[in-house]
Amino acid sequence: MKNQEKIEQNLKKLAKTHAYWYHKSMKTATLSTLDEQKRIRLRKILIIIALLILTVLMFFVCLFVGSSKMSVKDGFDALGWNSTNANNRIMWNIRFPRVLAAVVAGAGLAIAGLIMQTCLGNVMASPSTLGVSNAAVFGANLSIIGFAGGFLTMGKNMADAVNSFNPFAVSMVAFVFSIASTLLVLALCRLRNFSPNTIVLAGIAIGAIWTAGTTILQFFATDVGLSAAVIWSFGDLGRATYKQDYFMIGIVGAALITFICLSWRFNAMLGGDNVAKSVGVNVTALRVSALLIASLITSVCVSFLGIIGFVGIICPHVVKKLLGHNHVVSIPMTALTGSLLLLIADTISRSIAGGTALPVGAITSLLGAPFFLVMLFTAKERA
Amino acid sequence: MLEIKNLEFGYKKGQPVLKDINLSLEDGEIGVLLGKNGAGKSTLFKCLLGLLKPTGEILHDGKDLTKISRIDRAKLIAYVPQEISFGDLTVFDSVLTGRLSRFGMIAGAKDREVVNNVLEELDLSNIANKNVNQLSGGERQKVAIARALAQEPHMLVFDEPTGNLDIQNEKLIFDIAKRIAKEKNMTIIIAIHNLNFAFAFGDKFFLMKDGIIKYVGGAEILNEETIDDAFGVGVKIIEVDGNKGIIFGG
Repeated sequence: MKNQEKIEQNLKKLAKTHAYWYHKSMKTATLSTLDEQKRIRLRKILIIIALLILTVLMFFVCLFVGSSKMSVKDGFDALGWNSTNANNRIMWNIRFPRVLAAVVAGAGLAIAGLIMQTCLGNVMASPSTLGVSNAAVFGANLSIIGFAGGFLTMGKNMADAVNSFNPFAVSMVAFVFSIASTLLVLALCRLRNFSPNTIVLAGIAIGAIWTAGTTILQFFATDVGLSAAVIWSFGDLGRATYKQDYFMIGIVGAALITFICLSWRFNAMLGGDNVAKSVGVNVTALRVSALLIASLITSVCVSFLGIIGFVGIICPHVVKKLLGHNHVVSIPMTALTGSLLLLIADTISRSIAGGTALPVGAITSLLGAPFFLVMLFTAKERA
Repeated sequence: MLEIKNLEFGYKKGQPVLKDINLSLEDGEIGVLLGKNGAGKSTLFKCLLGLLKPTGEILHDGKDLTKISRIDRAKLIAYVPQEISFGDLTVFDSVLTGRLSRFGMIAGAKDREVVNNVLEELDLSNIANKNVNQLSGGERQKVAIARALAQEPHMLVFDEPTGNLDIQNEKLIFDIAKRIAKEKNMTIIIAIHNLNFAFAFGDKFFLMKDGIIKYVGGAEILNEETIDDAFGVGVKIIEVDGNKGIIFGG
């Protein structure tokens, strides 16, 4: 009997000690987890601050770099209209609308890519997936080659082309074709209930038709028309005027606000259509409207500035890797990264060719692709 | 209480996939849906969740779920799928998406409090800031359950929730489901392929074949004949310490 009591007492003691150590280890684990959570949050905040500072810095660097070799002091003076007339005009008539275009188009193309990737559940989706860019190129080629840059005047030589070339008309035709292409893809996909795979495949097929059309147009083009069409397709921020900038700011700004308001709906879509529907999201309406808005942004930017590739793929990927996929953060940060990428690309394009600006689209790809590959192959393999 | 009355559905006209489905479950009961692949289990779940539009009635406490809005339905029924995907979200953010029908645009303090409580309840608080993609299969399934619970639903639908899990995690998930049903008095309807788990966790059983519920009742309806009829497999029912199970052959 005594032995039995002794055993029970020992057992109680053991249980108490065990409970103490268990409690202690749990407490330590909870503390270390809290520390880790704080560290993760701090890291994200630091990344966001660094991106903001870098973008503001690049905005000014981009303004002050150019073929006129304006000094930084002259640059600041010109910003306040206190420099020479020439410097003031260079700053406000040439550089500022160009830099503004870089900020807005970069942000727009980047968020268009992010939203397309979310809506189509495809990490490789980008504005070209729906054939938007291809349609814009076809529209611009038709306008330049078929109508010498206008709607009715036929151009047969360089003089005709220069006299009748109307950049706004080219942009408008490009815009109309890109929007028409998006509507065509979505109308076709209505037959298949807007399933993401159907949208991607239909977009690729329609895009191929526009590319074939462009090739045929270029085959029959005069040397002048062909040159003008090819030069149009190079992304060039120098084409931007204040009028175009304001138009892009309106569209991209409104889209950004709309997308931020829909952030949690996009987050729910990451769980798949059925889960998103089960938490109350109208998936089809969201997918169609978001794709239309993303296509509108792309159409506007491509129509005014030409093809600027890779921004819509690289920026969302970088932001997702650095800050995660939560759209509340990733939408504004992708926009910021897009602006930053285009500002860097534009600065480089105007600095390395000795007075001639290289096509900014080529620079974004040249810069973006290797960086993207490094990120892809150095990332830790996920469980 | 969940009641399904005369439910019918077909993807093509004249080819019904679900025929005259009648089913009822009390609050706190776990209903187990059994049947071969293609028997109609997933289609029935899709009808319940409002993803498909059937004819007939789906009543929850007398309210017809086929006639209410998506948002109102999301407040009543939550869904735990077999294929879990969350994107690159953290555990906390993934669970917070379950509150979408409650907060609409911006999550408030109440939503965060509910999520924190659910995470604590399922022992997930210590990984709240981890990326869901870095978790094990069992943990991801727990996050999916947490997301469903964050909806504060009256009913949970589990569509083969343990199809990709090992036996330990399978048991863990069913233990959680059983605890939720009892503690929260929540109706749970679950599709399972593992008949031994069905015996252990189900209160009521619905054996489906070719789009109809052919057998309904307690564990007694799962016998050699009904299982052979529904699955086309010969089994023997064994009983150890009052617990039923099946072995193949017979």
